Amino acid sequence: MWLGASLFAAGIVLCTVGYLALSVPGNWFSSLPTLRWSAAELAVTQGSGQRTDEGLRVGATGPEGIAIVSIQTSFRSAGYTTVAWDTGDVPDHVAAALVWRNEYQPGRRFTKPLTVEARRLLPVTLVDDPNWIGRINGLALIIRGDLAHPILIRGVEAKPMTAVQILHDRVGEWLTFEPWSGGSINSRNGGADVQDLPLPFFVAAIVGLALIVYAVLARWLPQAIGPFRPLIAGGLFVFAWFLLDVPWQWNLIRQGHATFQQYAGKSWRDRHLAAEDGPLFDFIEKARAKLPPPPVRVFMAADSLYFRDRGAYHLYPYNVYFNPYQNTLPDASKLRAGDYMVVFRRKSVQFDPALKKLRWEGGQPVDAELLFAESGGAVFAIH
Amino acid sequence: MAYAALTVGLILPWLLGLALLFALGWPRRGETAGAAALRAGFGYCVGALLLTLWMRLLSVAGIAFGWLSIGLPLAIATAALFAFARRTGRIAAVDVRAVIDSLLRPPLPRWQRIVWIGLLAWLALRFLLLAADVAWQPLYPWDAWVQWATKARVWYELGHIAPFVRADQWFTDSTGAYFDAAPNYPATVPLLQVWSCIALGRWDDSAMNWPWLLLLIALTCAVYGALRGEGVARLTALVGAYLVASLPLLDTHAALAGYADLPMATIYTVAAIAFYRWAMRRDWLDAALALALAACCPLIKIPGLVWALTLLPGVVVALMPRRGLKVVGIMYALGLFALLALARTNVAILGYRLHADFDPGWRTFWDAYLLSSSWNLLWYGAVVLAIVGARRLGAPRLAPLAVVVGTGIAFVLFVTWFTNASSWMQDLTTLNRATLHLAPLVVVFGVLLWRELTADAQPVVPAVLASA
Repeated sequence: MWLGASLFAAGIVLCTVGYLALSVPGNWFSSLPTLRWSAAELAVTQGSGQRTDEGLRVGATGPEGIAIVSIQTSFRSAGYTTVAWDTGDVPDHVAAALVWRNEYQPGRRFTKPLTVEARRLLPVTLVDDPNWIGRINGLALIIRGDLAHPILIRGVEAKPMTAVQILHDRVGEWLTFEPWSGGSINSRNGGADVQDLPLPFFVAAIVGLALIVYAVLARWLPQAIGPFRPLIAGGLFVFAWFLLDVPWQWNLIRQGHATFQQYAGKSWRDRHLAAEDGPLFDFIEKARAKLPPPPVRVFMAADSLYFRDRGAYHLYPYNVYFNPYQNTLPDASKLRAGDYMVVFRRKSVQFDPALKKLRWEGGQPVDAELLFAESGGAVFAIH
Repeated sequence: MAYAALTVGLILPWLLGLALLFALGWPRRGETAGAAALRAGFGYCVGALLLTLWMRLLSVAGIAFGWLSIGLPLAIATAALFAFARRTGRIAAVDVRAVIDSLLRPPLPRWQRIVWIGLLAWLALRFLLLAADVAWQPLYPWDAWVQWATKARVWYELGHIAPFVRADQWFTDSTGAYFDAAPNYPATVPLLQVWSCIALGRWDDSAMNWPWLLLLIALTCAVYGALRGEGVARLTALVGAYLVASLPLLDTHAALAGYADLPMATIYTVAAIAFYRWAMRRDWLDAALALALAACCPLIKIPGLVWALTLLPGVVVALMPRRGLKVVGIMYALGLFALLALARTNVAILGYRLHADFDPGWRTFWDAYLLSSSWNLLWYGAVVLAIVGARRLGAPRLAPLAVVVGTGIAFVLFVTWFTNASSWMQDLTTLNRATLHLAPLVVVFGVLLWRELTADAQPVVPAVLASA
């Protein structure tokens, strides 16, 4: 038992030191605090932004096709090796860069490209940049690209990135709550969306190193620790597995609490109303009230794939048609009298109430009657 | 009241499967280690499959689904099978007491008993947490409501299985056929959901997913029982079961139930376990069970046919202990040759287009298996064990299962590298889920290989193999 624990501890120490040797950009130890500026202190100097409870939403770029978010600062660059923009909802296709001014060349702006990964901007290390010098008198973020969906900026930090801070960041990433998402059914991140050091790899390295140390000691110092015992090797592996299982169990506890908060004590219908697609479910419930009993044919239309497919699901056991892959509706000739069409947040569907004609995507109109309409949704009976 | 009825409805297939296994006398009376767990694990799988087969039969006969048509006959069958088992001395009250005793007071040294109890408590907490999502979360994952529960909803409301057809057929259909994103998918999974709703008495797309959690628990029991049956020590067998039950992606599929991958993984694993037991014992009951379960694989997912076929090379090795590996090697070589020939065409098999778009995508494998937390340390352990135990893979006690696992891995690689599914692999949407079908069996095989590597005594060759 003690031998296994010692080996594991040795593995942790060796792997941690090795990782820090590769990762710490400057000094391992520093008394400098992390400097943080919140979204409230940021100014949008080009493009447009809106302050929300979450942070600053930058939604549209200026006339030059770029948006700039800036902050006046005054801190000495020495010791601060990394700048991290705390962002979210960043599209993959935008180009972003960090901009700063230093005290020696106040008229110049220096830039460093930023990488987008998992819909956020990754921190950038500046320790080797010759222009990251002296007092930093301003930081800015330049974004170029289509920002139809506003990006979120919660703030910006200048970090010394000491050994402790790096370890703190890694542990923070590993223990970040990972709620259920659309991707959960396909894979699990094991914490934050982006991780500099995935925990399974780190733990595997610890076990691997511990086993190597053990094998070497058992070979060369058998009088001290005895011969190689497979039980210890297996025990190390199972313990490492359990170590990885603890954050998973903890995540499930947090998820269970979140699920409980959102749904517990509610009826089936109320649970659906409380779900992410609650407004859609509510609309479909009202639409169903206007439809005759199943099984009539119902066509489901929505621009968003999610709304189209999910809306169709809520419509069963009607005989539903929806395109599960593309935002298209069938040709008007394929509909017949007695069919119904449910439309939810979809462009290119036009209804002429005077003529009682329904058409979509510029096709031939069909005779139809509006049964129900509400905030971006409608139900039509085809005649 | 409704939830009591649901509970009865969920337990019924389990009891049915248990009763059938008791009546058949499986596992055999002389086999005590892990027999109860094995029976419990296989019991639910067999019972759930029988339930859906019965529902198919009712539908063909034009009898509407309901408690009377489903629950009552199955309950009567269960009672009759239990009575038969009791009369033939294949079940006794003392069995139940012995099981509870060995669960709570296992004959283990003190520290092992502490670990034993701790692991059981940890697993109980795991299942409880997964149950929270099953109980409250409305049907969540995409494919679950675009291609599986669509059928469940329609069949529940209609009271029988109605056909689902492709879009082009749907537009011209006059028989009332339905459409969804995957109209050709098999009926087993939706039928399990339909039965839960019938038992509950109303449509509820949370409550209908309890069978997923029960399948995970059944799989855990089956793995423990199978390992014990092969002579693995109590605690090691429990650790093996724990490794399966704690696979994060498997847990996720239980919590966010509705996909067919967890049922596929469970049925394939128990089919492979039954096959392995037959290979070791040559008991016709094991063979019949393996055959029946393997035959049900295509009823769960279309690729289930291929998963069932992965057992064939193992059968060859089991039947020809001396030349089997060579024969399988030749089969592999011929298969590879055929593959290379096929890959120059655009043939579609089971919906997958074959073509020589050879794209190993190592980065995807690296990300999915080793960096993401989907598999805990499974693939690190599997790779190390395969290297360390390479010489033992061909040993008589392991070769049949080694070949099955190897064929399964080859299938995953084939789908990943040689078909149009490779494009879905890039974002991990398919690779992990395809792997999920095989992962529990990899754990089982890993524990058996570990046992083989660490056994102090020379491994005992089963009589049937030694004499061959």
